[in-house]
Amino acid sequence: MPRPIRFDFDGAVLSFNMQKVDRSKLYGFKQLEVFDEHENQCDLATLAEDGKTLVGKGGTGIGHLTADGLWTDKEQLKPVNLEGDEITPVSSSFAAPVELKDETTIDDYLNHNIRLIYRLKAEEDSKEDALHLRLKAGAILKFPYSYRGGLEADIGFLLTNENDELFFLVADPTRVEFVGLTQSPAAQMEDDDQPDATDLMDFGMI
Amino acid sequence: MPELNLCNEAGRDAAVSMESVMMPLRVRWVDEKGRQARNVRILKSTLEQDVDALKKTADGIDKVAQSIIDSDPDVDLEVAGSFLTMTSRVYINTEAEIVHRVNQFEVIKNPDGSERERRVLERTQQNVTSEMPLRWSGVYLKRTDVIRKFVFGNKLQLTHINGLTYDFLFAMAKDLESRDSMLLVGGGAKSNEPLILRRGSVPYRGFLEGRTDGDSYLLLLHLSNLELKVPDEAEDEKDSA
Repeated sequence: MPRPIRFDFDGAVLSFNMQKVDRSKLYGFKQLEVFDEHENQCDLATLAEDGKTLVGKGGTGIGHLTADGLWTDKEQLKPVNLEGDEITPVSSSFAAPVELKDETTIDDYLNHNIRLIYRLKAEEDSKEDALHLRLKAGAILKFPYSYRGGLEADIGFLLTNENDELFFLVADPTRVEFVGLTQSPAAQMEDDDQPDATDLMDFGMI
Repeated sequence: MPELNLCNEAGRDAAVSMESVMMPLRVRWVDEKGRQARNVRILKSTLEQDVDALKKTADGIDKVAQSIIDSDPDVDLEVAGSFLTMTSRVYINTEAEIVHRVNQFEVIKNPDGSERERRVLERTQQNVTSEMPLRWSGVYLKRTDVIRKFVFGNKLQLTHINGLTYDFLFAMAKDLESRDSMLLVGGGAKSNEPLILRRGSVPYRGFLEGRTDGDSYLLLLHLSNLELKVPDEAEDEKDSA
């Protein structure tokens, strides 16, 4: 069983067991079986660009090249964000209780793609504790989450489903944005540009 | 940019743009001068050197180490560490030969792992195209209810391609916003099938959400293939054990 996650909510520390929920546990799953003409089972492999080198599982790796195209160790590189600022690594969310203080909106929740789902189960029936009551009332709580620590925290959401069962969802932000109409200049017309009715009726211009 | 043909409540259809909203990479790795480094996929070993092949050559896993010591092979400098760029996925048989004609079977299993069905694999056909409009189902679900029933693993943003489709989509977003609801969207001729965006891709249920801000709008097609619910208790207990 995975480690329990602890939340600090309104000054109380609550501990929950996490149980992963995915499609295979709810609906079952599919497996692909592939056979050759003689009914022998086949496996997938990678064929290199030369058309003859075959690579099996674990036969590839990742290397790092500098801007000059030279090999380098990852230890020689440093992680930065898109603005070029160095990233401060985050610690694991299991190292200490995660503070739950930010309530978020449905809009914000819907701006994310959900990647992982966990059902949270308290040691004892917690349907009447303060956290559960707040979530039952419709609140969605948001917090940074990292499983083992690393460069960036993911985004975690806490909410209840329609049966008031507690779920913890790990999400990725998206880049949704409001869009407006930016007409091409040819389609835009100032008041001064309005054609005169007499101009439009001037058949002599044609 | 892919297009989507969508009907409004009045049954009028229009081709609009469909964009991915996935966030690009947020972390870059740079050298001491702040210049961006890049990753390359390299070849570590070929199929002839993997564990299964060595086991076969040495006649057992317990003899692999001695076999390597005896043969004292060198690293093939032509191959090891070479960049892998334009690779292909191929099927191989037990003799590690490429198989060109294969029979593919899809085995459907229950959550407990028991086999439910076995059938010849058939690639699901795309049912979201610019030729076939997605109809306005008229099934509205309150946003507060939807987020507690379904899990949205993916989404697409619908945007206009000209002034006319701006009005079309803005009105749609405004209507959905005023209802504080999402519209259930289905594919196929009767709009009751799951959406299949590309041939062979994962089928999803679609939920259309609209928001407005002044003259701007946000129209999102949320995609879900999962309900927010607890698996059967028996399965749950088995996984925990």
